[in-house]
Amino acid sequence: MKKRPAETTSMVINYAILVILAITTLYPFWHVLMYSVSDSRAAMSGGFFLWPRDFSIKAYQLLYRTRMIITSYGNTIQRTVLGTFLNLAFSASLAYPLSLKRFRLRGFLTMMIFFTMLFSGGMIPTFLLVRELRLIDTPWALILPTLVSPFNMFIMRNYFQSLPASLEESASLDGAKPLRILLSIILPLSLPVIAALGLFYGIFHWNAFFDGILYINDPQKQVLQVFLRNIITVTAIGSTTTIEDRALGAGLSEESMKMAAISASIVPIIIVYPWLQKHFVKGVLIGSIKG
Amino acid sequence: MAKKMYKEPVRRRLKREIGAIKRDRLLYIMVIPGVIFFLLFRYVPMYGITIAFRDYNLFRGFSDAPFIGMKIFNRMFNTVAFNRAFVNTIIISLSKLAWGFPAPIILSLMLNEVGHMKLKKAVQTSLLLPHFMSWVVIGGVLYMILSPNSGIIRDIAELFGKGESVVNVMGDKRYFRTFLVVSEIWKGMGYGTIVYLAAIAGIDQELYEAARCDGASKPAQIWHVTLASIRPMIVLMLILRVGHILGAGFEQIFVLSNPLVVEVADIVDTYVYRIGVEQANYSLGTAAGLFKSVIGLIMVLGANYVAKKIDEDSGLI
Repeated sequence: MKKRPAETTSMVINYAILVILAITTLYPFWHVLMYSVSDSRAAMSGGFFLWPRDFSIKAYQLLYRTRMIITSYGNTIQRTVLGTFLNLAFSASLAYPLSLKRFRLRGFLTMMIFFTMLFSGGMIPTFLLVRELRLIDTPWALILPTLVSPFNMFIMRNYFQSLPASLEESASLDGAKPLRILLSIILPLSLPVIAALGLFYGIFHWNAFFDGILYINDPQKQVLQVFLRNIITVTAIGSTTTIEDRALGAGLSEESMKMAAISASIVPIIIVYPWLQKHFVKGVLIGSIKG
Repeated sequence: MAKKMYKEPVRRRLKREIGAIKRDRLLYIMVIPGVIFFLLFRYVPMYGITIAFRDYNLFRGFSDAPFIGMKIFNRMFNTVAFNRAFVNTIIISLSKLAWGFPAPIILSLMLNEVGHMKLKKAVQTSLLLPHFMSWVVIGGVLYMILSPNSGIIRDIAELFGKGESVVNVMGDKRYFRTFLVVSEIWKGMGYGTIVYLAAIAGIDQELYEAARCDGASKPAQIWHVTLASIRPMIVLMLILRVGHILGAGFEQIFVLSNPLVVEVADIVDTYVYRIGVEQANYSLGTAAGLFKSVIGLIMVLGANYVAKKIDEDSGLI
């Protein structure tokens, strides 16, 4: 079929806009990465970075020497691994019974959980509760208050419901215990949804910073994102100033330090990104099927 | 039905029920940890809302604090700070709704027109990247781009000899809200397209054939076939958005706000944090949070009701 000239023009414009948009989302991250491995003085002259200028990893070395980045990295990895595991375990232990028609509390619990999606106590009562429970400055403050996301739990329940009911029923009639059925029949068949929710929860933990600000005062217990925020925010007080002082002493610009810190937090995401985005897209689509 | 239904005696039915529950008792035990989580971390804070109606402070325990009715709310509605935060919240979230809601739909339509599959995939993959970054990271990255002293935008402007005229969008009251809207769209547009593109992919190709046979132009096809087909998805997404009408983007504003723009950027959530956590005025902070939650609840139920009126199949609940 022959295309009219007007259609060709609009097609070209369409392609151009999309490519420009794609560049505006990619380049800023590239810029940060390249800046972080450039020599401070060379980087200061500004402009675009296609490649590093006078390759240097001084900023990373200094960052590493402050030790705080290692501590906060460790705290973030801890909350991400342990948190995601517990998120999945608790979500599954609710989703499985709620997926069964014969479970008598199904309607009641579904309503009870659904209601929390519509209404919440808010920041202050939750904060006071966490404090009452003596969780402040413990890793649990970052894990327990967000243990089950109702939205994710319902995605899981819907997925379980879509599996053939006969599998579960026959295992149950054979006398298999529920936990056994969940672990050896339901979960192996639900790997796509487990992977997707693991990603949702994992990304949440990796990027979360506000709960760190609310519940963690001890710098040794702080998470990466909050450490990063302290470095980025010029007005920040405390450990930041010493880092900046040291940076200036070592002939490094403040910018180089910031870029190195940002890079340190995004490199893990970028490394797994090709895999991540593929499974993430699948996961969002599993979740968007109305249940 | 003519035949009389057999009615089981109550006692026997009860016995059968108990038997069924007993057989599945492990299932009931299994939900206990999850239920405890919801009771403790979701329902206890809801009860904690009562401190908005109590004279609560650190030295007096929770249950000792006397009820004082709506006093705190009356005081709150009379403060400049709360009213400013409320107005800002409405303005920011409505702007985000007006610009941010159509953005992924338009983008999906544009992507759908790309015939080159590899290019389409590459663009999609690139657009999704910022979604995986925290606002802390995005804030740092945007500063590198937009800073009027050292940002790339300034470098570009200098090429045209206009380096001095670059405005500080991150620190100027006139531009800050626009900056909030644009940066949120930028971060979330790739994510937003996922569901729409999937919905578009599910459209029956014969509909397009039929439209072409009827002589429908490209824009007409997009309007009558593509958009018409994904309408239920659009409505569903709109309900979800409207429910968060008072969530103007707490993490974003918490990171990007600064003293230069606080007048136009302070929203209810940042107000709650400042009053409730930083100033430890728990009752006032809770009251402001409750006000927000109640409006959110009304909005989502209202939006759901309206959606059901328009289209039986749409709606969330």
